Amino acid sequence: MASLNGYINQRVLLILQDGRCIVGTLVGLDNRADIVLSNSVERVYSPDEPVEEVPLGLYLVKGDMILLVGELDTEVDDATDLSQQRAEPLAPIRYGHE
Amino acid sequence: MLPLSLLNAAQNKPMLVELKNGETLNGHLVNCDNFMNITLREVYQTSAEGERFWKLKECYVRGSTIKYLRVPDQLLDEVQLEQFHAREMQRGGRGGQRGGRGAPQRATFLGRGGGSGGGGGGRGMGPVRGGRARGRGRGM
Repeated sequence: MASLNGYINQRVLLILQDGRCIVGTLVGLDNRADIVLSNSVERVYSPDEPVEEVPLGLYLVKGDMILLVGELDTEVDDATDLSQQRAEPLAPIRYGHE
Repeated sequence: MLPLSLLNAAQNKPMLVELKNGETLNGHLVNCDNFMNITLREVYQTSAEGERFWKLKECYVRGSTIKYLRVPDQLLDEVQLEQFHAREMQRGGRGGQRGGRGAPQRATFLGRGGGSGGGGGGRGMGPVRGGRARGRGRGM
């Protein structure tokens, strides 16, 4: 069965339905995939500015907002200079004919 | 650690709640339930664009409309410490029962079992309890 238990106490990256990208340590979850992150930061991407990291601290995200939970390769992540990264932010998810 | 245990421990603590429509609510948690429905007091509500503000004495938020909650960092340590102590207590309690109280309890269980064997579940229990109570009464 699919399970997030193996990610507990690992650095993970969440992508939310509103296009936010949040990195934090997974400290808790339940069967609705509600997730608790500690030491979390939001990474705000922009096409012509460095990536901005907004500290969020202890963060409880509702499962129904979460699109993706990914284990973060901390070695690669630490070696990445975010101030050199440029990217379009993810668009929020859209439904129907909005 | 379960998200709901964190939320329960956040009672009377300040928190920021963002709703799915983008509005945010800043206030102190009064209460919560298993659906993550919450009540907040002394709330500052902010519109999704961040242009308008409202001050609410108290408000109720349906759990399904919540996007996320931000809670104080120190809460994590508090909950983890609490859970650690709870586990220790449980271990200690069980150990103690095995050693000291365990044996007599088992004896009473056997006694009850015998009683219920004769009269059937509920009825069997009654007389046994009554008997005990009388015994205590005399003793005192």
